[in-house]
Amino acid sequence: MAARDRYGGVFADLGFTPLQRAIRNACDLSHYEPNLALNLEVADLINSKKGNAPREAAFEIVRLINSRNQNVALLALALLDICVKNCGYPFQLQISTKEFLNELVRRFPERPGLRPSRVQHRILESIEEWRQTICQTSRYKEDLGHIRDMHRLLLYKGYVFPEIRTEDAAVLNPSDNLRSAEEMEEEEREAQSAKLQELIRRGTPADLQEANRLMKIMAGYDNRHKTDYRAKAAEEVAKVQQKAKILEEMLQSQQPGETVAEGDVFEELANALRSAHPKIQRMCEEESDDPEAVHKLLEINDSIHRTIERYKLTKKGDLEAASRIPKGTLGTTTGVSTNANNELSLIDFDPEPPSSNGNAPAAPTGATSLENDLLGLSLDEPAPGGISLGPANPAGPSAASSGPEPSPGGSRPNYDILSSLNSSPVPSQSSTPVARVQQQQQQQTTATPPPVDPFASLVSASPRNASPFQGAKTAAPAAPEEDEWDFTSSLPESNALPSTNRVTVLASALRIEFVARRSPQQPRQIQVVALFSNAINEPMRELHFQVAVEKAYTLHLRPQTGRDMAPQQANGVQQEMMMDGVDVGKGNSLRMRFRVSYQVGSKRMEEQGMVPPLGIA
Amino acid sequence: MGGQVSKIMGKIFGTKEMRILMLGLDAAGKTTILYKLKLTNQDVTTIPTVGFNVESVTYKNVKFNVWDVGGQDKIRPLWRHYYSGTQGLIFVVDSSDTARIEEARSELHKIINDREMKDALLLVFANKQDVQGHLSPEEVTSALQLNKLKDKLWYVAPSVATDGTGIFEGLAWLSNNVKTPPQK
Repeated sequence: MAARDRYGGVFADLGFTPLQRAIRNACDLSHYEPNLALNLEVADLINSKKGNAPREAAFEIVRLINSRNQNVALLALALLDICVKNCGYPFQLQISTKEFLNELVRRFPERPGLRPSRVQHRILESIEEWRQTICQTSRYKEDLGHIRDMHRLLLYKGYVFPEIRTEDAAVLNPSDNLRSAEEMEEEEREAQSAKLQELIRRGTPADLQEANRLMKIMAGYDNRHKTDYRAKAAEEVAKVQQKAKILEEMLQSQQPGETVAEGDVFEELANALRSAHPKIQRMCEEESDDPEAVHKLLEINDSIHRTIERYKLTKKGDLEAASRIPKGTLGTTTGVSTNANNELSLIDFDPEPPSSNGNAPAAPTGATSLENDLLGLSLDEPAPGGISLGPANPAGPSAASSGPEPSPGGSRPNYDILSSLNSSPVPSQSSTPVARVQQQQQQQTTATPPPVDPFASLVSASPRNASPFQGAKTAAPAAPEEDEWDFTSSLPESNALPSTNRVTVLASALRIEFVARRSPQQPRQIQVVALFSNAINEPMRELHFQVAVEKAYTLHLRPQTGRDMAPQQANGVQQEMMMDGVDVGKGNSLRMRFRVSYQVGSKRMEEQGMVPPLGIA
Repeated sequence: MGGQVSKIMGKIFGTKEMRILMLGLDAAGKTTILYKLKLTNQDVTTIPTVGFNVESVTYKNVKFNVWDVGGQDKIRPLWRHYYSGTQGLIFVVDSSDTARIEEARSELHKIINDREMKDALLLVFANKQDVQGHLSPEEVTSALQLNKLKDKLWYVAPSVATDGTGIFEGLAWLSNNVKTPPQK
């Protein structure tokens, strides 16, 4: 009501709402140029009233844009710009309605004139700006599609859009400031509210259906689409940490004598960190019911604080003092680990493995690039040591399993079955100790092994058939304490790496070991025998093993000896494979991925990961 | 322009259109009233509304677009999205639920204090008049503190939604008192 008093003089009698009065006041002819204070007041009014206010404002403004007076129109366009930039999604949703956009270009002639008027130019500029920013970067860009349509239509009619300075329009892009779970939730709620309001207003049957659906989500009856905001917040924290790491690295490479210039990357990073600082403290308060998360957040906060301090001192040129600040962000920092479902979550804050040196790539990037490489199976990084799988990734229960699917070997043209396996039985007392399996972040299915189904030529359900590896099988008796077996080598030591090695690929309910060897006859070939053991007290069925190698090598698989294993059966199933094209000496850098699925009871299990280095020449 | 023509036509031929919003606590009988209006002589069985229902009912040359929004407390914060353009508010009260009449009062006052509802007519259905121990329309009036309202046209109509008693009388009151033209 205060607004009414203020603008009462001019518009009070005309039956305008306070918002309309404020808009008319801001676009009043008496201003020669846009009045920022009045414009921001309108934006505040829209933001505080919500509900129908964005729509009311948008249409009032566009009415003024179509005013015959060019100055009023330009003032209204300036106000529109302020509102689009300050009133967020609810207002943006309104400017992307067909009605609004049609109104906006109402005074455009069918064909563009020789050169656009100032008003037209400004309108074209606005549309172009929206198209380049909110139509691409908004979280809800699918709701803003009509802007793009209008852009296309105008283009088709022959209108030329002025060029946009991207930095001017950048405010329309979502900020990358750290946001807490609560803030993100609030933002989402606000967007949903605006959308619901708009759907109800439109009132077509489809809109109403959508509105009903949205109401269920907003009222909390439908949680299927609910976003885990804590996980998202954790992601955001990870981003800030990333920035801190980069800054820390840059500061460490700073030599005495170099000065930190204003406005460069340093400044930018430091500012981002500084703005994140209070946010993390806020998050600590919000997470106060989870002491562990708070603890981690505080640690992160401290390390960021140290980094900022170091930055300040470095900037002053006091490198000595800067180096006295304990190295916080690197090395001992805490990170956000990825849990089994590949989701970041506050609950799963785990210390990162300490980087061996200050130049180690930050963990998230490292992991992704590794994954990306694996996607194409074109690995160009040196093999990291001791990689193996994380926890199992149980899939939904599958249909009842049948036994092994007998099918003739000839029906598998994919595999050139090499018969002459002249490998000697592998002694169970073999080479290096079993590689300790470490937890590794389990990534999504990336490997694309050759289609191995159907698992062919299985002679019988029992794997106890004639096999070149009979010896190996008997040599490693089924022992319940399989895990405690220690393998020692009885082979002569070669100069560098042995030509035969045994590595543990997977040590979960299902144990997979690879026995790799090079035969003297085939210098570029590695033979691997995969040995599968059941480490639990339940039978396993439907074992399906897939493996992929880098494209440079060729892989030949022989059929699995079976698909079922009795409880605690050691080496119940075997599979031979041959890798061709591996030069001597490259055996240890050969990278392989595997995927294995099996069924325990009615539960379908699936596991996958990297095969650790084979440990042979 | 087209809107003005149809408005003039409406004046000549006496057809009006009214946007009605029907709110109230859960289990007050809103959905039953809505479908009793729509399907006059049929029995209506309803389940708790999660979301909303909307139906058009023409009565005495007035086309009522009635929006019935669920009344559970989780949905109440969403009521405000329906206010815009509402000319008549039907607030349904379970007259036999004396324990929650105070809750109903506070919800009602929240609604009519909203700026967007300030011009809306207020019709209160004192529903479930057939249940033992119900409050009379006068008791409902005082319990809802309607007498305190200023600048508000209101009316309390006794009703039994399950057999349709009283609901068309309520609509008649709305159509006789509507004066604000429908908003665009």
